[in-house]
Amino acid sequence: MRIFRLMTIAGFAASCFTCAASAQTAADLVASQKSTKEILTYGMGYNAQRYSSLTQINRKNVKNLTAAWAYGLSDQLGLEAQPLVHDGVIYITNHNRTAAVDGVTGKELWRHNIDYPSETTRVVCCGIVNRGSALYEGKLIRGTLDNYILALDAKTGKEIWKTKIADIASGYSITGAPLIANGVIITGVAGAEFGIRGFLAGLDPATGKEIWRTYTIPAKGEKGSETWEGDSAATGGGSTWVTGSYDPELNLVFWGISNPAPWNPRGRKGDNLYTCGIMALDPKTGAIKWFSQTDPHDAFDHDGVNALVQADIKVNGEAKKVVMQAHRDGFLYVLERATGKFLAVNPFVEMNWASGWDYKTNRPMWTDVYTKALAGEKVEVWPSLTGGTNWHPMSYSPKENLLFINTFNVGMNYQAGDPEKVTAGQRAQFVDLTPIKPANMGYLKAVDPTTGKAKWEIPFKVANTAGTMNTASGLVFTGQLTGEFIAVNSSNGKILWKFQTQSGIIGQPITWEKDGVQYVTIGSGIGGVYAMRTAAAEVTHVPTGSALWTFKLQGK
Amino acid sequence: MKPTLVASLTLCALSSLIIGAAAQDAPVDLVKVGAKTYDTNCAPCHGDKLVSSGIAFDLKRLREDERPRFDNSVTNGKNAMPSWRGIIKEKDLDALWAYIRANAYP
Repeated sequence: MRIFRLMTIAGFAASCFTCAASAQTAADLVASQKSTKEILTYGMGYNAQRYSSLTQINRKNVKNLTAAWAYGLSDQLGLEAQPLVHDGVIYITNHNRTAAVDGVTGKELWRHNIDYPSETTRVVCCGIVNRGSALYEGKLIRGTLDNYILALDAKTGKEIWKTKIADIASGYSITGAPLIANGVIITGVAGAEFGIRGFLAGLDPATGKEIWRTYTIPAKGEKGSETWEGDSAATGGGSTWVTGSYDPELNLVFWGISNPAPWNPRGRKGDNLYTCGIMALDPKTGAIKWFSQTDPHDAFDHDGVNALVQADIKVNGEAKKVVMQAHRDGFLYVLERATGKFLAVNPFVEMNWASGWDYKTNRPMWTDVYTKALAGEKVEVWPSLTGGTNWHPMSYSPKENLLFINTFNVGMNYQAGDPEKVTAGQRAQFVDLTPIKPANMGYLKAVDPTTGKAKWEIPFKVANTAGTMNTASGLVFTGQLTGEFIAVNSSNGKILWKFQTQSGIIGQPITWEKDGVQYVTIGSGIGGVYAMRTAAAEVTHVPTGSALWTFKLQGK
Repeated sequence: MKPTLVASLTLCALSSLIIGAAAQDAPVDLVKVGAKTYDTNCAPCHGDKLVSSGIAFDLKRLREDERPRFDNSVTNGKNAMPSWRGIIKEKDLDALWAYIRANAYP
């Protein structure tokens, strides 16, 4: 054998090895947005559209959709996570387990259990849950309620590294999925109800070492600290509990920053930067590239962490690269991705705390509902703190230029009494609230991004708190709190198919294919704060317990 | 006068003052105090105004003779509920119990 042939073979072997070792590279993650086989990121692609080009399941044959398998998670506390799919294997997480399941058969391949200290759940405000994981170079990466980021071997479930990024004693927890952008793991934290100082952190996927941390609340003397009264910034909230999205062309990560703490605004006068707004960061350094505040001095826990969906659309007849957010405050925000400029801001639900958006000042046009609330008067507020929609992600159809949003139709009687001192690590709200619940507490809406108007809407007695997903064949998939998994005609809102799962659905549907068969996967398992608080009376007959379901067409 | 006696008398006077003030203004409404503690720490899982979803225990089911069980669960934790030792103090337990019993099933 001649030397050059030997070298070629060796080279080939080496490149194959590199191939295997570097599965789910940064380039793979970018490409997966268009893949029908791989769901490698939260949001079903970096643009977070939750749109699939698959068409095997369509409006005509969806009635033949049938359960392929269900995988039980031995848990009673709610299944909110978006599963990932790589090479036919599904990865699912909840608060105390990560599991790999064969996507075709539903058989467990491995599981990894988490044993966090029992006092952890003292600082978990809104459901003992986890919302998903990330895949990178053979590692399955997730956060834990007690503030670790874990890297597991995606093939075996064995722990590779574990990094602690915050303390539960100070009010922090992690419930969101990490985002891997440009080779950096980015994680947010929860805890704005417990007086934290919010931040985003960037970690090295190889070692787990923290390489940057960007606080959302400025330290004393830093720019923005002048927007807080006295020393209120120290416990100012600004959590980052829902995963953002990434634009690889602009190399910008977009992340929603939550409400200021406490909910009662009267002891923290000022705009309270950088809470309640959308932040764009450089994923390599964590440097803030722009910040667009949606709710200066928020009074209603209108948060600001909702899904950030990217699209290229026309705004006022002009082609724009935008990032869109259906916000808890009731406005649908459309911003220019490169600059953060507000392009279109319109209500997508009933709201009364603002009458519109002032594009000159880039601030809401507040009504007397807001000013009276600041004065300590009792007011009726729409939408309530639950929001026009909550954390559960919307999806976008580039084919139809529509957003599919599970909205809330809930108001509240609200009064902020005299402000009290916040203690980090202890729940700080200091407002009196009573929800106002109409007969239909929610809708699934198909919304025009630039007007906020609904093309169609389906009323639900109990609002849906599941994510939506849509396909090129004109179907929208979502789930009901009462357990029905449904497929809806995307052009007219007609429910074409439904399946009663064993519990309530608060998860995020995905669709994917293997060997020419299209599958749809959704978690069912009631939990989360809306089910336990606002809609408690309406869900008493929904059993607890979590399972991951997968569906395919009969005969496939 | 010995310092300890001074201290005792001062303490006695102080506590009389506190009791006096409370009695004069308004009796401390335990149920109301309990409702506030409940709303802050318990409602996220056990439901607004004690309306349970069934996901966490329905506290309105607690009977009059179950105070020791209640104290034990709150102080030491039970199932998914953490221990509230150090956060929900003994006087808060009295108020919480008063609020729960005032709304218990017949």
